[in-house]
Amino acid sequence: MSDNSSSKRSGFDRRAFMAGAGIALVPLTARAAVQDPTPAAAQDPALPVEVTLRVNGQDKRLRIDARTTVLDALREHIGLTGSKKGCDHGQCGACTVLVGDRRVVSCLTLALAAEGQEITTIEGLATGDHLHPMQQAFIDNDAFQCGYCTPGQIMSAVACVKEGHAGSDEDIREYMSGNICRCAAYPNIVAAVKQAASDIMKG
Amino acid sequence: MTVAAPEPKVNMGNPVPRYDAVVKVTGRATYASDMPLANPAYAYLVTSAIAKGRVESFDLAGANRVRGVIDIVTHENGPKLKELKLYSNGGYAGTTIQPLRSADIAHDGQIIAVVIAESYEAAREAANRVKVSYTAVVPSATFDSPGTTTAAAKGQNSQFKEDPQVGNFAKAFEDAEVKLTASYDTPTQHHNPMELFSTSCAWIGDNLVIYEPSQYVYGLKNGVAEQLGIDADKVRVVNPYVGGGFGSRGSMTPRTAIIAAIARRLNRPIKLVPTRDQGFTIATYRAETRHEIKLGASRDGKLVALRHEGAEVSSRPDPYCVGGTKTTTRLYACPNVDSLVSIVRADRNTPGFMRSPPEVPYLFALESAMDELAVKLNMDPVELRRINDTTNEPIGGKPYTSRSLMACFDEAAKAFGWSQRSPEPKSMADGDWLIGYGCAATCYPTQMGPSAARVRLQRDGRTRVEIAGHEIGTGAYTIIAQTASERLGVPLEKVAVFVGDSELPPAPVAGGSNSTASTCSAVMMVCDQIRQRLFKAMMPNQSLTDRAKETVGIGQTPATRAAKSDRSLDLEKAFDALGAGVVEEYGEWKPEDAPPDSFQAMHSGHVRLVGGHSLKDKIAYAFGAEFVEVRVNRFTHEIRAPRLVGAFAAGRIMNPRTARSQLMGGLIWGMSSALLEATEIDQRTARYVNDNFADYLVPVNADVPGVEVILLSEQDDHINPAGAKGLGELANVGTNAAVCNAIYHATGQRIRKLPVRLENIEV
Repeated sequence: MSDNSSSKRSGFDRRAFMAGAGIALVPLTARAAVQDPTPAAAQDPALPVEVTLRVNGQDKRLRIDARTTVLDALREHIGLTGSKKGCDHGQCGACTVLVGDRRVVSCLTLALAAEGQEITTIEGLATGDHLHPMQQAFIDNDAFQCGYCTPGQIMSAVACVKEGHAGSDEDIREYMSGNICRCAAYPNIVAAVKQAASDIMKG
Repeated sequence: MTVAAPEPKVNMGNPVPRYDAVVKVTGRATYASDMPLANPAYAYLVTSAIAKGRVESFDLAGANRVRGVIDIVTHENGPKLKELKLYSNGGYAGTTIQPLRSADIAHDGQIIAVVIAESYEAAREAANRVKVSYTAVVPSATFDSPGTTTAAAKGQNSQFKEDPQVGNFAKAFEDAEVKLTASYDTPTQHHNPMELFSTSCAWIGDNLVIYEPSQYVYGLKNGVAEQLGIDADKVRVVNPYVGGGFGSRGSMTPRTAIIAAIARRLNRPIKLVPTRDQGFTIATYRAETRHEIKLGASRDGKLVALRHEGAEVSSRPDPYCVGGTKTTTRLYACPNVDSLVSIVRADRNTPGFMRSPPEVPYLFALESAMDELAVKLNMDPVELRRINDTTNEPIGGKPYTSRSLMACFDEAAKAFGWSQRSPEPKSMADGDWLIGYGCAATCYPTQMGPSAARVRLQRDGRTRVEIAGHEIGTGAYTIIAQTASERLGVPLEKVAVFVGDSELPPAPVAGGSNSTASTCSAVMMVCDQIRQRLFKAMMPNQSLTDRAKETVGIGQTPATRAAKSDRSLDLEKAFDALGAGVVEEYGEWKPEDAPPDSFQAMHSGHVRLVGGHSLKDKIAYAFGAEFVEVRVNRFTHEIRAPRLVGAFAAGRIMNPRTARSQLMGGLIWGMSSALLEATEIDQRTARYVNDNFADYLVPVNADVPGVEVILLSEQDDHINPAGAKGLGELANVGTNAAVCNAIYHATGQRIRKLPVRLENIEV
């Protein structure tokens, strides 16, 4: 789930995925779960570990809890709050970033697992004041309202074009379906991806 | 012009791009949990695993051993907060169920402990290690559960004063040539805005700053101050961007004061980002409803009798209801009308506003019944609406300020290709897919509330507009900037707008679709105050008569007239004449018919909306018509909605781009409500089952192939200075019924219970 691009087309549907994974109807976070006893101090995951993340071309050295996700590392430790937490379960796509060229839900990716890889966030997309064609296309086509899912939509859309999945409206709709927009700007998002895809092809 | 930016028609503003577009596409828009805090501690909620009963004891040993835990707050050591009062009862809260005050549990997922730790990870782990012993009592989950109580809404809900009635329904129904009786059900739904129900609290000395997504910063500020027992001027709520509201953030929830009090006790900023599933129980939702509609008509289709009975679920302590009969009894001409709304109390969290609160469930019932009646009459459903269209509402006989319902039907029908429909059910198909066309009316009351604004204009045209409105995705920044730019005659790019901060002049709750009308009317008025000062400076040679007029308040001076006209100003000349570098004005606007305490209430965070049917001698609504094509697979029963077409008239359209987007989103919301969304409740435990984004279905891009929005020109000079009717809640009202009416046309099967799933189809 953390790697959208490698999913097969049928497995790309978020609902098909969840049903297939057999997670439906089981609450994923325990409310007051009963668990036993404290782990040995030597294995205590709260003891900070050192990790260096390469984000938007810069190395960021962090001392963090080993369980910190890329999303929380970005937001709480590096100060890049563009990537958003909408579910923390890989179900909504608001936290989507690029790891290399792949789109990844950063809430399901541990920071430790992303060490040594190029992470691109929404903050790294524009060059100075010059917007990426996808950002401009989102503006031109009014592809957002509240804007909270937008960073994830745009990162996903950039990858969608690179993957070659922006050839038709139907393809765009299918391959952008891992990103929920509750304001439902979907038709405008399709128009934006189409415009940007053509801009990117033209170079 | 692109599809996203339609060419403006008469009485429409320019479709300029959003004011906040660049910050939103670059990740620089700062939502509540993005706000930097100095050395914050992290909060994680522990919520109840039972719906009714009490906490017998906590075993916190395991949780306290987690490295980094700072504090665990329960009812045993909880902050002492003042009692919550419901917003409709002079308070600010959306619920009076107050966690951490006692061991009692009133609903599933109630907050029972808050863990504070040095990191989010430690807080989460410790929360999962909190052991709770409960004494559980069997809860009442919903309609028909043993132990629920039912009573009329009138008399217990201060905002539902009357069950509308006129004429003699019983006799007229008995005598009617054609009769219909049908029952309809709508499900529990949760708003699920993308931004979680986050709260950060930081104290600076005696002053509290709250970062929280809110649709009403003045309500939240005053409510938290009241609960903490401190001066409201010491509380500031900041949220320049809100990641969706849909009603879920209109009234205060209990979490805010709890986090504020813990932050004060620990003398440290606290950041709470609750989980998605916790959002189902720590905030509000749309309760399930039941309806019975009785329609009597003459053979030629004229309604002679209409009765709408509705029942809604609420919590044990709070009599919340939406009471949509105020709209359904007034939509069509009918001389004999009766209605009744009841509230059913169960062991649930208190419901609240959700996008188009009264109209969504109640018009689903009425507009489905109208379609059923059209079938009985063998009449085109559009024509049935035309026959019963009216210029005056039937209950009090008051005239609609404007009503473009049939114009909307005609425009949308043309764009949709309604004339291509063969009326017989199951008569249209494409291979394995049965095709159905359906339509429904949509409407929403035009509401306004008192609002203040401050505007500052500089000689070079730079303008600063301050108003504590809310940008929840509606385009508030954009249309406020457009309003100031147009009124002052300064370029749009010179206007800076500040909203989402309780230090700014008060605006109403961003709810009930009142924001555009209220905030833009206030901004227009204050811009005119500035123009007046400048024109006065430029027109010093007024006659004595003019001055006398001004002094005794009869008529208007030429400068005043000029200020209120569209006459343009030479800013540099005007500033030279005035001899000032900056002109700043503050003003308070209130709508006609606003109650006398309006301004006082506005400053203390109480909403005084007027409009809809509550105006003295008129009634104001926005209207629309919606057409849906559904395709139902005759073998798998899969249901798709490939085409949604809506035409809408809502007075002045401030910006066709943002208006279209909101209406488009509304149509998709409506389709989603008809086919996807329902919160499932475990009848035995009164707990929500599908409390996450994988199991609570909302549309994804692949679910939404074709949406067409048509904006009609409409001018209404009887509502507010901005001439605007709200449209944020207009589009998702009629869609439920339109989808079901289309499914009937496709399959011959009438479905009266939402949402419609493939297992409900029996072709």
